[in-house]
Amino acid sequence: MTTTPTDAAARPSPSPDSRPGRQRPGDRPRRPAREVLAALPWIGPSLALIIAIVLFPAGYMAYNSTREISSSGIDRGSVGLANYATIFDIPALPRVLANTVVWVVVVVVLTVVISLALANLLDKQFPGRQLVRLAVIVPWAASVVMTTTVVYYGLQPNYGIINQLLADVGILEVADYGFTRNAVPAFVVSILVAVFVSLPFTTYTLLAGMQSIPGDVVEAARMDGATKARTYFAVILPQLKPALAVAAIINIINVFNSLPILRIMTGSIPGYDADTTTTLIFKLIQSDRRVDLASALSVVNFVIVIAVIALYMRIVKPMKGVDE
Amino acid sequence: MKHPQLVEHPDTTKRPLRLVSLTLVAGLTLSACGFGGSGSDETGEGGTVTLDLLVPTYSDGTKGLWDDVIAGFEAENEGITVNLEVQSWDNINDVVRTKVQSGQAPDILNIDAFAGFVEDDLLYSADEVLSEETVADFQESFVENASMDGKQYGLPLIASARTMFYNQDLFDEAGIDAPPTTWDELAEAATQISELGGGTYGYGLPLGAEETQAEAGIWFFGGGGGYGDAETLTLDSPENIEASQFVQELATSGATQPDAGATDRTPLIDVFIQGNIGMIVGLPPTIGQIAEKNPDLNYGTAPIATKDGSPVTLGVADHLMAFENDGDKQEAIGAFLDYFYSADVYVPWVDAEGFLPVTQSGSEALADKETIAPFLDLLPAAQFYPSTNPQWSTAQGAMQQLYGQVAQGSDPAEVLGEIQARVDS
Repeated sequence: MTTTPTDAAARPSPSPDSRPGRQRPGDRPRRPAREVLAALPWIGPSLALIIAIVLFPAGYMAYNSTREISSSGIDRGSVGLANYATIFDIPALPRVLANTVVWVVVVVVLTVVISLALANLLDKQFPGRQLVRLAVIVPWAASVVMTTTVVYYGLQPNYGIINQLLADVGILEVADYGFTRNAVPAFVVSILVAVFVSLPFTTYTLLAGMQSIPGDVVEAARMDGATKARTYFAVILPQLKPALAVAAIINIINVFNSLPILRIMTGSIPGYDADTTTTLIFKLIQSDRRVDLASALSVVNFVIVIAVIALYMRIVKPMKGVDE
Repeated sequence: MKHPQLVEHPDTTKRPLRLVSLTLVAGLTLSACGFGGSGSDETGEGGTVTLDLLVPTYSDGTKGLWDDVIAGFEAENEGITVNLEVQSWDNINDVVRTKVQSGQAPDILNIDAFAGFVEDDLLYSADEVLSEETVADFQESFVENASMDGKQYGLPLIASARTMFYNQDLFDEAGIDAPPTTWDELAEAATQISELGGGTYGYGLPLGAEETQAEAGIWFFGGGGGYGDAETLTLDSPENIEASQFVQELATSGATQPDAGATDRTPLIDVFIQGNIGMIVGLPPTIGQIAEKNPDLNYGTAPIATKDGSPVTLGVADHLMAFENDGDKQEAIGAFLDYFYSADVYVPWVDAEGFLPVTQSGSEALADKETIAPFLDLLPAAQFYPSTNPQWSTAQGAMQQLYGQVAQGSDPAEVLGEIQARVDS
C-alpha cells in the first residue's frame, strides 16, 4: 500500500493562503527548466517505472482495443471502435453492470461499517488486546485465493464441511445444496468472503486514524457536557473523515477490480448471471479467446472506476478537513 | 526543517545519480519498445539449433515422458537441443496467444485445435516436416480430421473416445438387468437409481464449463444431430434442440446429480469412482483412475445409449503442430517429429498416458491392451468435433459458457440460438 493510513489521517488541513482562488496564476513563481531537470535524478527512476509498468501496458491495452486480434494472437489490423460496439451489444451486459454495482456497493459498505466497529473495539484498552489485534490481521496474511478456495471446498455439495454442518443442524435436508453452483447464493457467499478479506486493511486504516485524534479534543467535549454518542458523531467521526476516505477509495478500486473470489466461487456457473465486468473480461480472454474485446471492456472498466472515484470525491469531499 | 547538506553541496551526489536514473529510464523504455518485436531465437553458436517444444499436461507423468523423449532424441542428434515448456490446460491457450502475439511462437506445439493457426498462415504442413513413412503411418480417419482444404497441417498425437461406465452394485440394488441402450431406457434406469436415495445419482451429467462441448456433443450425436462440418456449424438444429430437451428433462426430474449445468467433468468422475453414480460417460484414463483410487469398484463399460439404440461415440484427437517462425528450423523439427513418431518412442509414450494411439503401428502394438481395447472397438463409429472449422473455437467457448443453462431450466432452443448467434457473428 502506497498510502499509509497515518499519512492521510495526520495530514494538516491546507492553510488559507494556499487555497485555490485566492491566488492569481501570475503569482506563482515560474520554475526554470533547469530546476526540473535537476529534479529528474530523484523522480526519474519512479517515473521510468510508472511509464514501463503502468502507462505502457495501459496504452498498449487501449491500442489493442481498436485492433482485430485472431485467436492465435495475430493482429489483423485496425477495426476502429467496432470492438466497443460489440461489447455494448452483449445481451448480458445490463445484468453484469448491475451485478458490478451490487458487488462494489455492498462489499465496500459492509467492510467500512464492520471495520469501524472493529477499530472502535481495538482502540479501547482491554486485556488481551494485542492478541485480538493479531487475530484481525490474520486474514490479510493468507492469500485471497487460498481463503476463497477453503470456503469453496467447505461449500461443496456432498463433501463440503459447511454443507455438512448445515445438514447436521437441520437447515438442509441433504448436504448437497449447490451454493457455488447457483448464481445468487454464489454471489452472496462471494460478497461475504470479499468483506472478510478486506477487513484487516480497512480496520487498521481506521484504527490508525483514531489513534491520531488528540485526546484533549475528546476530553474538551466531555467537559462541555457532550453525551458519549454526541462526542462520537460530532467530534471523533468528523476527524476520522480522511482515514475513512482512504479506506473507502482503496476498497472501491480493489473490490471493483477483484477477480479471484468471484472467479473461484462463480466460475462454474453457466451464463453471466453471477459475473461482474472484471470476470467478464476474464471470460472473454479465456473462453472466447478475444483479446481485442477483452481490451475494449478493460478500457470501459478503467473509465468506470475513474468516474466512480471522481463522483465520490465530488459528492463526499472526503479530503476536506473538519474545520473548513 | 531544512537539510543544509543538500543545499550546500548540490553537486556531490547529483551526477552519478543522474547517470543512473537516465540509464534506468533508457533501459526500461527500450525494453518496453522491444515488447512486440520479433523474438527470433537462438540459432547459430557452432551450428546448434534449439527447438522450443510447448506441451500441456495430460497427467502428472507428462513432463517426465517428454524429458525421456528429448533425452533420447538429443543423444542421437548432435547439434539439436530441445527446450521443453509444460503448461496446464487452463493456461496453454493464453500462453500460446501471448507468444504468437509477441513473435515468440514455439517451434512445436501440442494442443487440441490448429485451424486458427492455419488461418493465420503460421504452420508447416505435414509433408513439409515429416518423412513420407511417418505421414503414411497415421490412421486414415485422423488424417482427414487433421487436414484443411485437402492439406494436412495437424499431426495427430493421441486419440480418446468415450464410453459409458456403469456401477454394477447400484444396478443390482435398483434391479436393473442390463445397461440401457436407448435414451428412454437410460432415463428409466437413472430414475430408479436416484430413487435409492442416500446421495446416489442415476446419471452423472457434467455440463460445467470444463468440457461442456463433449457431454453435450454425445447427446447431440446420439439424437442424430451434431456440431456441423468444416464449412458450416449447425448448433441450433432441430435434432440438437430435441436432444437438449431430453437432457433438460433428465436433469430437472432428479435423475442426475443436482446443478448439472455447473458440474465439471473431473470432479464428477471422482464421485462415480467413489461409487455414488449409476452411469457416467468416461474416457480411457478413467479405467486407470478407478484402478488407482477405488480398485474395489464393481463397474462395467457399455456403448453409450442413444435415441434409437444405434451406437455412436465422440472421438477426440489432440495434435502436434510445427510453426514456421523464421523458416530456418524445418529440418530439425522434422528430425524430432520423425524420431517421436517412430514406434519405439511413440508407443511407450501413448501407453503411459493411457490414451489411444493414432498411428497404424501404434494400434497394432497396443491392440491387446485391456485398458484401451473397449475404446479401440468404438473408434469406427466415432464422430469428431468439426475442429477444422475456423469458427469451432468460438462455438466451443460459447458452449462452455452458456450451454449449462439448459440443465438449469432455460429454454434449450433459446440457449442454442444464442450460441449459434455468437458463431455466426
